[in-house]
Amino acid sequence: MSFAGLVNRWSRCFFQNTYAYKYTERRGVAISERYSQQPETKYEGTEEFRVLDLKPKKTAVRRKLRKKQEVMPPRTSLMPVDQDWGSVWPGPRTFHPASVPLPLRQGYKEKDAPPGKFGNAELMKIPNFLHLTPPVITRQCEALKSFCSAWPQGLETDAKCEESFPLEIITSDYCHSSPDIRDPLARIVTLKVKLGRLPLNTHAKDKLLRLVGERYNPENDVLTIMTDRCPLRQQNLDYALYLLTTLFYESWKIEAWESEKSEADMEYYDWDASASRKNVMGLLSWKPDQNAAEMSADAMDLDIKEFKEAVSKIMNEGEEEYTLSRYKEEVKKLFSLQDISSKV
Amino acid sequence: MVYRLCKILTLDSIFRGVSSVSHHQRALSVVAGASEILPVGEKQIRRFRTVESNPVKHDHNHAYKFYTIPLETKKQLFQHGGLPTFFEQQTQTFMETCIMIRDPALEILHYLKTADYTRPAIRYVMYGENGCGKSLTLAHILHYGLASGFLLIHVPWVPNWMRACKEVSNSATREGCVDLNLDAAAWLVHFKSQNAAILNTIDLRMSKEYVWSKREVTKEGAPLMELVELGISRVKYASECVIALIKEIKAHSTQGRCKTLVAINGFNAFFHPKTRVMTEAKVKVPPSKITLTEAFVEITKYDWCNGAVVLTVDKSGIAPDRRESCLPVYQLGKEGFEHLDPFVPICVRDYNDKELESCLDYYIDRRWLQNEKSCTEEGRNELKFLCGMNPYRLMHICAPL
Repeated sequence: MSFAGLVNRWSRCFFQNTYAYKYTERRGVAISERYSQQPETKYEGTEEFRVLDLKPKKTAVRRKLRKKQEVMPPRTSLMPVDQDWGSVWPGPRTFHPASVPLPLRQGYKEKDAPPGKFGNAELMKIPNFLHLTPPVITRQCEALKSFCSAWPQGLETDAKCEESFPLEIITSDYCHSSPDIRDPLARIVTLKVKLGRLPLNTHAKDKLLRLVGERYNPENDVLTIMTDRCPLRQQNLDYALYLLTTLFYESWKIEAWESEKSEADMEYYDWDASASRKNVMGLLSWKPDQNAAEMSADAMDLDIKEFKEAVSKIMNEGEEEYTLSRYKEEVKKLFSLQDISSKV
Repeated sequence: MVYRLCKILTLDSIFRGVSSVSHHQRALSVVAGASEILPVGEKQIRRFRTVESNPVKHDHNHAYKFYTIPLETKKQLFQHGGLPTFFEQQTQTFMETCIMIRDPALEILHYLKTADYTRPAIRYVMYGENGCGKSLTLAHILHYGLASGFLLIHVPWVPNWMRACKEVSNSATREGCVDLNLDAAAWLVHFKSQNAAILNTIDLRMSKEYVWSKREVTKEGAPLMELVELGISRVKYASECVIALIKEIKAHSTQGRCKTLVAINGFNAFFHPKTRVMTEAKVKVPPSKITLTEAFVEITKYDWCNGAVVLTVDKSGIAPDRRESCLPVYQLGKEGFEHLDPFVPICVRDYNDKELESCLDYYIDRRWLQNEKSCTEEGRNELKFLCGMNPYRLMHICAPL
């Protein structure tokens, strides 16, 4: 096995050598052809002894310096003070440090001032309104005025507008520089109406409020219906109007089961129907020698009107120091207790 | 003996530092200190103390001062409970029972003095955060009741019945109700010790006959004490006895034979549906199904006169689902409010600056505050800040100082 391997290696070596020989021969012909005209080398005849340089000195390889491109100074340094900013920055655009002549800084460094505007990604991330400076807005409004019609007569104030148009419908239009001009958010319709403008009685109002729940704001008396379940704006608008109509008629209906409303279902504390009234009446008419006999309520109504208010306040507005102290004062009046400070 | 004690004290103080001497040894040293400075006569009465130990005479001149409850009175009133545990321990350490005269107590005393007793009983409801002194204010008023000749109906702590009752048995007379007979008997003992003296002077007799069993009958015209004795000796009938007793007292009061002061601590526990009272079938019993409740709900109604009802509502006395606020309407719940309405709510607040100063002076006087810094302005301010003006917290903070 090892012998065979040896033979093989020998033979290969042999062939290689022959090939190398042939190759140099052929190359040699070509070289001699090319340099045949050149003068003879200078070493010929001088017989200078060439030193074998075993460890050649390394010459420092100088890297080729890349030529720095010349950068123009930022445009801001060349800007005149009284330039027209609206034409420098005409539309919405990402922040550009060389175009904005403001010494802006944004960001955080632990031991240094906030980074400046050049190469500052933070400044580029945040949206800017540099295209909407007050003079530009004025100018644009002036330009738009020629397309506007006159404001209708009799709608000068918000109150007058509300008087004539009680129903407020809010939609949004979206405008992008994208191939699709439609935005799904444009379908949403918000309908606002003041509840006071709807003809409702106490029962109907109570029922309506229970039906709408969170959609009613008691602070400004506004009912807000927002619809977004249909794909188109018109459909959502129809649906919102349908809801308002249904709510209105539904709240005027009196169902058979509504007569079963008990004290626990009441939306507010009704003192006249409460145990508190019964207690006070019994207490005021109580005599040691007879059992509690109901006195005529009319005679006492004046006396306990304030007490009634105090109890209702605790029950309706919640128990706190203020309502409790008021209740205390009323109870003291009821029992004709002297104030401790009055004695002092 | 004294030598050994001193040795323990010094060793202890070496190892743990003077400020953390254990409570027992503290108490001994306090007593030793206090005995030196206890006033011999009334010369040494300080500005935080008043000699006036009769609560009938307390008025705004005594405000924020400590008065002493005499030992016999304390024994009569609070032998079977009525003072908070930690305060009770402290009174033993101080060898005297001193209560600060505070605004809510003065206010109630004023009402009790000036109210018209021919009209229905007025319900006063004390409320306040934990540890503000509701129970001690109630103790002060109870002392007033004793001093001015009221018959006392005092429940030291209602939640004891609702949470840690001794024994539960089905009521024989009321369907579906349970009796807490041992607790009822214990309460009768308490009632007896508080009222034995006054019941001897005024003659109250039963207005009708009560038949307990074939042989046991309380006859019409028998003295009221007989009913109490029966309840104590025949524990089986204790709950019924309490109901009968309270109905009798109510009737007597209405007819003007006696004046009655009802003082119930933790009254809201009667109106919170959760209790730890279990029947044999391990079913929780609501307070309305406990016979004792009936008695004390009965006496807190408005339909009687010649009496006053002072109650406290306490959020620590009930299950944790009703502890968000200490205000009385919330604590009583709908049912309880409808039962008590109209009542006079009285707020027991944290200490004010004067009260705090007075209390710190008292602790220093009792050598309870031994740290030398507690006399300085800085130390006092620190204590004031740490306790947040809460009396109970102040007591706890001062204990290791």
